[in-house]
Amino acid sequence: MIPNSQETMTSIRPNTPSTATEQAPQRMASGHSVEVDALQAYYGNHQAVKNFSIAFAANEVTAIIGPSGSGKSTVVRCINRMHEEISGARAEGTVMLDKVNVYDPRVDVTAVRRVIGMVFQKPNPFPTMSIFDNVAAGLKLTGWRGDDLRGRVDQSLRGVGLWDEVEDRLNTPGTALSGGQQQRLCIARAIAVEPEVILMDEPCSALDPVATLRIEELIDELKARYTIVIVTHNMQQAARVADTTAFMLDGELIEHGPTTKMFTKPEDERTERYVTGKFG
Amino acid sequence: MQYEVRHNFREALKTLEQQALGGLDIVIRQLDRALEAISYQDVELASMVVADDDQVDGRYLEVHQGVLSLLATQTPVATDLRLVAALLHIIRCIERIGDQCVNMAKLVPLSGHEQPKDKDILDAIERMGRLAHSQLAQSKETFAGRNVDLANDLVRQDAEINQLNRAIFRRAVDIGDEVEMREWAMLMVLVARALERIGDNTVDIAEQVVFVVTGLFRELADASHPVPERTDPAPA
Repeated sequence: MIPNSQETMTSIRPNTPSTATEQAPQRMASGHSVEVDALQAYYGNHQAVKNFSIAFAANEVTAIIGPSGSGKSTVVRCINRMHEEISGARAEGTVMLDKVNVYDPRVDVTAVRRVIGMVFQKPNPFPTMSIFDNVAAGLKLTGWRGDDLRGRVDQSLRGVGLWDEVEDRLNTPGTALSGGQQQRLCIARAIAVEPEVILMDEPCSALDPVATLRIEELIDELKARYTIVIVTHNMQQAARVADTTAFMLDGELIEHGPTTKMFTKPEDERTERYVTGKFG
Repeated sequence: MQYEVRHNFREALKTLEQQALGGLDIVIRQLDRALEAISYQDVELASMVVADDDQVDGRYLEVHQGVLSLLATQTPVATDLRLVAALLHIIRCIERIGDQCVNMAKLVPLSGHEQPKDKDILDAIERMGRLAHSQLAQSKETFAGRNVDLANDLVRQDAEINQLNRAIFRRAVDIGDEVEMREWAMLMVLVARALERIGDNTVDIAEQVVFVVTGLFRELADASHPVPERTDPAPA
């Protein structure tokens, strides 16, 4: 059934067991699969993504690697329909979140972005907001109507391992945190609305090695509850965090397979040449 | 975007492979001298084989350190990762081959100058020595050329070494009651065993070639499920 706009908010979460959510302190294994089929993405006349098809398995981390300009970021921005926000940009094809095509014209874009959250390259807490309000803002902006805002914020901060570090300064500005803490704050903001999928576009590229490792540990913890897609230039990061890895080149998906296989015996010669640094 | 990067890494990896394969040249020389020392009862030459094992050990340490350095600083992947892993494996094989040459050399003073000898056993030892030399040379060629066909051929050659080893053992058992002859025959059994182990190590190197090329590890010769022993007569 294609949902009407009123039904969209629930229809786009087809299998989330709400009673289990209420009973369990943390949701377990509730991520959903995402299937992208024949995705084409354009910036004006330039085609950035060409006939891209892939299945992101539920509760797995999938890394997308490839040289600059290969279309990695465009793909993830298409998954939660942020690509179309750029002037002159458009996308074709289907992105199925379980049984729902997020490109169905009757699907509410806001609902899509709540269910498919995004973490960006540079930590982007709202500069004028406190730590608490930064997390709460994610809920408010998506029309959350619950009655335990404080509890939800606390839970989100605990979910990213930030609670112990900020519990005594929740009213200080989010920008006062370190870079790594700010990125975890942004992830807390993303998970506060209980998405099914988290997209991460180079989430560690602005962080130091220790903060990077902390985020990578967090990704490993979060995958029990969410389906995660991470774009990264850091191939070792892909090797460390991802269950499967996809290699893109010139807008096309060249190869997608188990990460260990991609980094020990890739099938495609172009993947081999890229991961071994024979071209860049 | 088809420009090549990581030139320094590629050069370092190439150098490391040359160092490892150079280790095979060292043990080939060690093998030849150990066999010569046995043939001519040359105790002095045997002692040189023992002393020169330091060269083999030194090469092992160089390659081992080089592998660690590349893993730590270059994080090789795909074919490069398989090659680095294989180099670590084969340099260990080479070090063990060096040890077997030492084992043979150390038997030379024990066998004395005027020991009785059995021509059948000596001929078999000589044949095993030629095969071991050939297998070592071929394992280097196999690895350098990433030649899977040559790797499989090494298994064929190794089967003959194994047969000769078993034949020498049977001949030694039946050598007679003379104490000195039996002692000498037992020493030759040990020499044969060392040569047989050298052959096994060349097969291990061949398996690493298959791994580097295909990404799959396959035991070319399964020691846990040996082919039933043939009932060939002792060497004539």
